[in-house]
Amino acid sequence: MSSEPLNPVIHAPARLRIVATLATLPDGDELSFTRLQDILDLTPGNLITHLRKLEDAGYVSTEKTGNGTAGKTTVALTGEGRKALDDYTRALRGLLDGL
Amino acid sequence: MNTEPDTNTSATTGDDGELDPAKAAAILTQATRQAQREFDPTPPWKLVAMAFVALLAFGAIWLSVRGQHPYTGPSAWALVITYALVAVLIAVSVSTTKRATAGVTGPSVRQRRTLIAAIVVVYIAVYVFMGALKYLGVSHAIVYGVYPAVGPLIIVGGAMAGVAAAKENWLDLGTALAVVSAGAICAYAGPVGVWLAVGISLFVIVSARAAVLAWRRRA
Repeated sequence: MSSEPLNPVIHAPARLRIVATLATLPDGDELSFTRLQDILDLTPGNLITHLRKLEDAGYVSTEKTGNGTAGKTTVALTGEGRKALDDYTRALRGLLDGL
Repeated sequence: MNTEPDTNTSATTGDDGELDPAKAAAILTQATRQAQREFDPTPPWKLVAMAFVALLAFGAIWLSVRGQHPYTGPSAWALVITYALVAVLIAVSVSTTKRATAGVTGPSVRQRRTLIAAIVVVYIAVYVFMGALKYLGVSHAIVYGVYPAVGPLIIVGGAMAGVAAAKENWLDLGTALAVVSAGAICAYAGPVGVWLAVGISLFVIVSARAAVLAWRRRA
């Protein structure tokens, strides 16, 4: 049984879904904010809040291009974020195997 | 990690409260599967459609050349059916790919576009070479029979195998090598039988790939 604690930054439903969704994209790919919002069915404010927490931890990077209505924000999982999800998944498996 | 309760409610509410590990595992599985479905430009259902298109198109050509003595090549009606089926398939493919890659940018999108462009060029080269064969006086059985049936499989399949090997994508490599092998073996069926043999081979290979992909998603 693993005694590894679950990473609190990822261990929240919305953030877990954000990280899992971005992790299915190939390394280096980015996803538009609107598509991510569409897939996760989150409000823009809710998504921004969770993305900020993930960004503060270095797990996602966001990039804004253009201004006004033509502006576009893209989100990508960083290498650190990918590793954090791997570690989280391993810790989760350890916990579930121990139950 | 295979149970899938409805996680939408909890996922859209506030979030920093207690989260049961079993529920977290279910959310992780569900989110991953949903994302894989969303971003997949060639889902299993599309592959099954492609398998049937191959069977119908090559089957139609086989019906049109069956009993030809001497062999003259596919009739116009069979080619119209084939081109119509291929056109529908291309339209569906463009639509699903657009939907799957909407909002996605980065290296994989650029690589896909480059790969499609390269395959189109290779495909055109296959048919330019067919013109050369005709020009050089090669028999109809080869120019309008064996070569157009198996040439694209061996040449385009070989190119795809190289790309898959470089990426260490074993499913793609297995599929491409199966297509190349099928092309080489089907050539022995002769100018008439080759059409049916290729149709059946592609149907089996593409259906098998769809089954593997569907199974992987459920695993």
